[in-house]
Amino acid sequence: MSSPRSTSASGGRGLDRRRFLTTAALGGATIVGASALGGLDADAAFAAPTPSLDPAVPAAAFAEGRITAINGSVLEVAASNGGRHLIQLTNATSIWKLEPTTAEAVKVGDGLYARGVPMPDGTMAADALWVNIVNLAVTVRGIAKDRLHFAHGAHGLVGRVVPGTTAASYLAGALTSDLSQVRIGQSVQVLGAWRPEDGSVDIARMTVGH
Amino acid sequence: MACGSTSLWAGEATWFCCGSSWGPCSSTGTGACGTCQSSAHQAAWPNASAACFSITRPDLCGESIPRRGCGAVMTVKHQCSGSSVCVTVSDCGPRTKSFCGEATCCNGTCRTNRVIDLTPAAFSAIGNLSSGMLPVYIYE
Repeated sequence: MSSPRSTSASGGRGLDRRRFLTTAALGGATIVGASALGGLDADAAFAAPTPSLDPAVPAAAFAEGRITAINGSVLEVAASNGGRHLIQLTNATSIWKLEPTTAEAVKVGDGLYARGVPMPDGTMAADALWVNIVNLAVTVRGIAKDRLHFAHGAHGLVGRVVPGTTAASYLAGALTSDLSQVRIGQSVQVLGAWRPEDGSVDIARMTVGH
Repeated sequence: MACGSTSLWAGEATWFCCGSSWGPCSSTGTGACGTCQSSAHQAAWPNASAACFSITRPDLCGESIPRRGCGAVMTVKHQCSGSSVCVTVSDCGPRTKSFCGEATCCNGTCRTNRVIDLTPAAFSAIGNLSSGMLPVYIYE
């Protein structure tokens, strides 16, 4: 299997951003707000992640696992397959944990997916970090005031309703905070943040199907 | 098998977890093909087999998606950014029939119905995991 080289017309922006991120990680640059490269949110980061043709700019990397230690701005991560990652956060790293947040919200024990650039010292400078994010196909099994009970495969799962955050979309409709149309037996896609302390999931969005 | 450029399909891409993982994903297993891993560039296809098709039923949403079995290789391209990722079919999914008519849009153009599920590694190569869905073109 081989990866194609994209011919995106906006590939130059991805290259510039990647070089910028690498520089930020190596030099400890401080970036406040948007830069000349555009916004530093995750959507902007992934608008054109074209593999670089410049051999000085390494290809994007991906990491997953659970955080075992936090040393300054470096996360030590035990990969689920037994490996280990060192993930360097920079001021250009976008971080999501139920909502866009900052490095202070990241804790030992959290699970993560990260995308970034491999660095010469063996770390990965992260473009984006998704902490405890899950996107699960489940079935509604119970409904309470502040939580929903789901079946996820052969397992049960508690979904917590987060006031001001949890939203639902019914049959491809617009997002709403009104959860009154959720019914037992419905197929639902839940995007949220897993809570390592009790195994439940804080619900960001529910897509309710047929 | 190399990633191709012949148009195969278009629609919504979602993401899912499989194989070695953490949290609720730790119990998901390696999928219908027995090879699925969240950290690999892989995908679930709704017509990976007859048994798979009977679960996903994209035809109920008007999608006559062709059969492509375990090991098939596809290029998934974001409709608007043009970024792409090469994936190998490693599972059955998504459950298209449950979300008929759902649309995901960018730059004013929408793609309807869930037609492919990507692993976190693959999805994050072309989009933001927190978006949950992307409009994509699929090539083989």
